[in-house]
Amino acid sequence: MAEPSVACEGLAGRAAQRATASLVLRGVNMSFGADGGSRPVLKDISFEVRDGEFVCIVGPSGCGKTTLLRLLAGLIRPSSGEMLFHGEPIKAPARDRAIMFQDYSKALLPWRTVAGNIALGLEACGIGEPERSKRIDSLLAKMGLQESARHFPSQLSGGMQQRVQIARCLAQQPRLLLMDEPFGALDAFTRQNLQDEVARIAAEQRTTVVFITHDLEEAIYLGDRVIALASSPGLIVEMIEVGIPRPRQQLETREDPRFLAHRHRLFGLLQGQR
Amino acid sequence: MKRAFRGALIPAILLVSWEALSRAGILPMDTLSRPSAIVRAGFNGFADGSILLATWQTVEAALTGFAVAAILGILFGVILGLSPRLERVVGPTVDALRPVPAVALIPLSLLLFGFGLQMEGWVIVFACLWPILLVTIAAVRGIEPRLLELSRVLQLGFAARMRKIILPAALGRISVGLRVAISISLVVAVTVEIVLNPRGLGYGMIIAQQTLHPDLMYAELVWLGLLGWALNVALERTLARWPGGSDSGAMRGRL
Repeated sequence: MAEPSVACEGLAGRAAQRATASLVLRGVNMSFGADGGSRPVLKDISFEVRDGEFVCIVGPSGCGKTTLLRLLAGLIRPSSGEMLFHGEPIKAPARDRAIMFQDYSKALLPWRTVAGNIALGLEACGIGEPERSKRIDSLLAKMGLQESARHFPSQLSGGMQQRVQIARCLAQQPRLLLMDEPFGALDAFTRQNLQDEVARIAAEQRTTVVFITHDLEEAIYLGDRVIALASSPGLIVEMIEVGIPRPRQQLETREDPRFLAHRHRLFGLLQGQR
Repeated sequence: MKRAFRGALIPAILLVSWEALSRAGILPMDTLSRPSAIVRAGFNGFADGSILLATWQTVEAALTGFAVAAILGILFGVILGLSPRLERVVGPTVDALRPVPAVALIPLSLLLFGFGLQMEGWVIVFACLWPILLVTIAAVRGIEPRLLELSRVLQLGFAARMRKIILPAALGRISVGLRVAISISLVVAVTVEIVLNPRGLGYGMIIAQQTLHPDLMYAELVWLGLLGWALNVALERTLARWPGGSDSGAMRGRL
């Protein structure tokens, strides 16, 4: 096992970096195809994410949102362009960039309990007992999973399984949290609860978040900034600063004139793309 | 309890009528023996230790061959499952070797190793290897890609990735191959012994048959049936316990 990386050493030194660019993308292109470029999926993607910022990427299905997230995770390499994370090029997956998948039923280890799944992230960081148990307990408490610690994922609802995924991501103590439509398959109430929790946790931990969704309202509600992608090939059509103060409220925020204005603008843009 | 009784009804009737027809002289003693004689022959065989020794020899060969095949099959199965490119290279060779009936290798194995445990063991390895190998390749291919991505994001090393993700995720399907193979191992062991290896229960049965002791032959046949069942149950229990403790229960039903 590798030695514990920076990702596992907590918040030390992070304050100094706040408000600087955490993530920088310059002219990123991505194509799939037999000859390495027949079908363009992402075209000339350039943006920066500030340290501690919550950025939502929204777009119609098939616009390459998930591809973009996999690029940021380092799971795939771009066809061209530059991607920097805290100044270092992204070449491979790393523990300080946690990724949370949409399909919760496939992303958890079915043979491990809730506590065991959370432990995986800690084991990967080389954190041994008794520190491991302590951290598992605090993550369980943070996500409201204490009652389910000894249950298996298959015994939990979708919302609870996504809580487990969040807890496992947090166990890595990531500097960047990548979320791929994490609440797309959940019912409205569960989804709203989890939105608020993710917003709270991101604020508490000052984690940089890149959150993919196809839901405009979710993007505006959660994001400090919303990036809208058009489809085939995916390119950035709009970037808006949301500018609604936190903490936000499910009812009031969604009735805020700024919220409605953003919604109108993005809706018009994305409708035009169909 | 009531259910067990109902299930035992037909065998009981068959056994009683077998005994009665045999005593009445309707069934020939020299081929069909009779239940009471079979029980007596079996009892004597256990009492003088001959059946126990033969059992040990057969089980030793079957389990050794099975274990070697399991280690080789899972090892190469995981490697080939993870690397489609390598599989394309090795696949044709596997497809060419696989249809060779294992028992057709008995003469070759005899030439190489002479009589004894080794020649029997290697034939069993050959027979058990293919189901385990093929099922393992398919099992590793079928692992949820999300879990493999997760292991990359967590930067798990090769050993940790094997132990924590790949083997537990594939074990459910691999266990199907192992269960097929454990049955094959006993079949091949007994076959080799019946054909020419002078050891074990197969050899005991052929000697009993040739020396006109059908009662002993039947006793060993029944014993072999029980043995096969016991091996299967023992394997299932072992698999259920992996990869550890309380987690296994949920896995058995799921994968």
